[in-house]
Amino acid sequence: MSLSQLFIDNFLTNRQIVVGIFSLTDCYVKNNMFQVLRHTASLSRTQLSRSLPAFSTCPTYMKLADCDPICRKEAPKIENDTVTALPEEARQRNALDSTIQVPIKVDLTPVSGVPDEHIRCRRVRIYQPPKNAMQSGTSNIHHWEMEFDTRQRWENPLMGWTSTGDPLSNMKVIFRSPDEAIQHCEKNGWTWYLDVPKVEKPFKPKNYGTNFSWNRRTRVSTK
Amino acid sequence: MLRQPLTRALTLSSPVRAAPLAARTYAGPPPPPEKFEVFIDDKPVMVVPGTTILQAAAQVGVEIPRFCYHERLAVAGNCRMCLVEVEKSPKPAAACAMPIMKGMRVKTNSDLTRKAREGVMEFLLVNHPLDCPICDQGGECDLQDQSMAFGSDRSRFTDIHFSGKRAVEDKDVGPLIKTIMTRCIHCTRCIRFASEVAGVDDFGTTGRGTDMQVGTYVEKMFLSELSGNIIDLCPVGALTSKPYSFAARPWETRRIDSVDVLDPLGSNIVVATRTNEVLRILPRTNEEINEEWLSDKSRFACDGLKRQRLVTPMMKDSAGNLAPVDWEDAMVAAARAIKDCPPNKLLAVAGDLADAESLVALKDLVNRLGSENTCTEQYFPLDGAGIDFRSSYLFNTKIANIEEADYILLIGANTRFEAPLLNARIRKAFVHKETDIAFIGPKVDLTYDYTHVGDSASVVKDLATGSSTHEVLKRLESARHPVVILGADQLKTPEGAAILAYTQELALRLQDKLEDKNWKVLNVLQRTASQAAALDIGYQPGVGKALQDGPQVVYLLGADSGVVSRDQLPKDAVVIYQGHHGDVGAGMADIVLPGAAYTEKRATYVNAEGRAQQTLVAVSPPGRAREDWKIIRALSEVVGERLPYDSLDEVRDRLAEVSPALVAYGDVQDNNYFAQARALSQSLQKPVSGKVDVQLKQLEDYFMTDTISRASPTMAKCVQAVLKQKQSQY
Repeated sequence: MSLSQLFIDNFLTNRQIVVGIFSLTDCYVKNNMFQVLRHTASLSRTQLSRSLPAFSTCPTYMKLADCDPICRKEAPKIENDTVTALPEEARQRNALDSTIQVPIKVDLTPVSGVPDEHIRCRRVRIYQPPKNAMQSGTSNIHHWEMEFDTRQRWENPLMGWTSTGDPLSNMKVIFRSPDEAIQHCEKNGWTWYLDVPKVEKPFKPKNYGTNFSWNRRTRVSTK
Repeated sequence: MLRQPLTRALTLSSPVRAAPLAARTYAGPPPPPEKFEVFIDDKPVMVVPGTTILQAAAQVGVEIPRFCYHERLAVAGNCRMCLVEVEKSPKPAAACAMPIMKGMRVKTNSDLTRKAREGVMEFLLVNHPLDCPICDQGGECDLQDQSMAFGSDRSRFTDIHFSGKRAVEDKDVGPLIKTIMTRCIHCTRCIRFASEVAGVDDFGTTGRGTDMQVGTYVEKMFLSELSGNIIDLCPVGALTSKPYSFAARPWETRRIDSVDVLDPLGSNIVVATRTNEVLRILPRTNEEINEEWLSDKSRFACDGLKRQRLVTPMMKDSAGNLAPVDWEDAMVAAARAIKDCPPNKLLAVAGDLADAESLVALKDLVNRLGSENTCTEQYFPLDGAGIDFRSSYLFNTKIANIEEADYILLIGANTRFEAPLLNARIRKAFVHKETDIAFIGPKVDLTYDYTHVGDSASVVKDLATGSSTHEVLKRLESARHPVVILGADQLKTPEGAAILAYTQELALRLQDKLEDKNWKVLNVLQRTASQAAALDIGYQPGVGKALQDGPQVVYLLGADSGVVSRDQLPKDAVVIYQGHHGDVGAGMADIVLPGAAYTEKRATYVNAEGRAQQTLVAVSPPGRAREDWKIIRALSEVVGERLPYDSLDEVRDRLAEVSPALVAYGDVQDNNYFAQARALSQSLQKPVSGKVDVQLKQLEDYFMTDTISRASPTMAKCVQAVLKQKQSQY
């Protein structure tokens, strides 16, 4: 087995590009290789391609039209997979990367398994949980929640635990933003309403010194 | 060296040159001070000068642990839990009191900071009992949480056999607050709340070091209508709720956000429930109404929701006693009485706690039957503009704007007991904005100093016409943001219309001269949660005229304040009572239809400002009681005048038809048409001679004012405790 054969195997298995191998490989590999390179070069060609490196195969988010390549401080990172992909592979990857636009409204109600009564008759409240008045901490309230209207609960005579006939009573879903919650409710067909808490207030700097000011009513009498 | 004498010489010698300086004070507020950059954990943040480290950290979402610091109280700086490392500073700094300097670099998570917190935590825990399993604060305790998050992971406490832990005798501060003073960590939040917000300067510390105690020194009840808030403020279990003691753990309860209806402000609350039972009520932050406080009646009257309830429909039997019947029988009997009654003899009266949905349903039903007699219990003069303009009967300044006021005139409104959290706002303005307050009415304790202008109604007339020589008139006229608050109780008297007309005249005269054209001066403070909604919907205020006509059927929708009584009605009149508590109304009724209380229904209430808010269902109504609008809807079907709504949404559509403001939840609209109301009431400015009196004068009057609080044993205990405290020499 020749050295070049070894390189070909290595190339075909690992798909590593070593520029130096070209001189050593046979014609077939060379042809194939140039095809790959030509294809990737065409992928990277944009309006700014005159100043782009000839073989820039950086992902699309890096070669934005508004990003002036002259101002770029580092050379763009080239992913090996992108360089070495065959045309049909690249096409397939492109298809997988792109988002799919669904034209119509998504309605999960026929498949979600939630009984019809709990879709039509329930009302979802989307809200930000209030701070517990008993405590100072606020780290567990910076999100949005949805909850259903409360239905009857009773004390189970056997164990004294709380029972309910409402399958959705414990469904509290947490969202980062009210929009996500609204989207979720829309998909599931629930009537929702948004409850925005009134917690904005003007900022006032606190001052320790006002406790001792001699001419203001903030002067502290008791300690 | 030169600058000061020169400026002084200029101002002294030449008044002409001083004039522009004086004129400058009338210009708008000074421009906001320039912000500078500081770094909290290497995150840059722009802050205004004077901001404390803790506030700057809060702006970038870094929460510094604290015990004594509370954003609505003065800075105390005594717990030391908020110590943080400041670069180039030899010692850690208390973040709550340290003003930030330009370019300061604060490290809230460095080794030094963590070590400081561990040290503070260790000192706090040396004298804190390990009774978390029997402590009511367990599960919502700042000390528990912060010792887990910031405390050391091992103990150096080896003194378990020697009873060396500090022990302090418990205090008795009344029937609402349970004290276990051994648990106290001396954060002094309760002391600061009592002296700053409640205005009852009874709490304080005695002794020093290990002997330091928080208390009232002599045994004394905490005589405040806001006392329950110190339970929330206490970061440990030293102050806990007496009615709620050992009732539940926080993780067992479900919290439902709702709205309070026991005073006209509509404070936001969280109802904690377990097994279809309301266990306690906590405040919920709403900066535009209650901040994060709650009045005692709203907080502790919830045990009244379990007592004296109407759980089944009832009808008077042959012996004249109310006997339980089926819904069907009660409905048919009520419908028959209504059908047999000539339209003009049918009267509907709405009470204190009626919600907007049932109000509109009842009005629609009565109107469809051909009667216009729908009334509320509270009176409001109908002469002049009457209730045609919303601005005439609402709190137009809005509660939050009270903080901006610089002179407040209260006319016969004891805000301390009629709307305690409004009074807390006035007190806040009094303390922090140097606002002055004048009061017309009997001498009462408002928790702050005020100028007493007398209790004669003619004072209002003199102020309105400008003939008064009292300094209050001058202060009002020179104020940039004056506020006039008229208590709705004054309007019940025969001179009510004149007092209202004079108040409108006074307020509008002041408002016309203001630089700030958006500022509203005139306020009428309603007494009940239902009145604003009822007037919006079109109920006639007051039952006096309707009762004189001798109604044959009286439909009481939770009307329990006693303005309708059997003596005023014809002998054969049928009284139908719909409501949730067995009180005055149910006592005189022939047919009782059990309704739902405010924790049991999704319902709309409009507060004194005109802000619609909704309560949510926390528990289901007891027994066979039903939601109120549904009862009226069902009755309409039996009567044969079917109301055109079948679901809550459809009722709310009807409410929106009447007024869109009724379903704009959480928002409040600006009111206008002051000038028109003033013009219409000009003819009513007749001489007045009566006295201005308030109904609630003392703390004991405050606790039991409606059906729920009258049924509450806790409120009864409060009244007794206050009366007992009056006997005490302290």
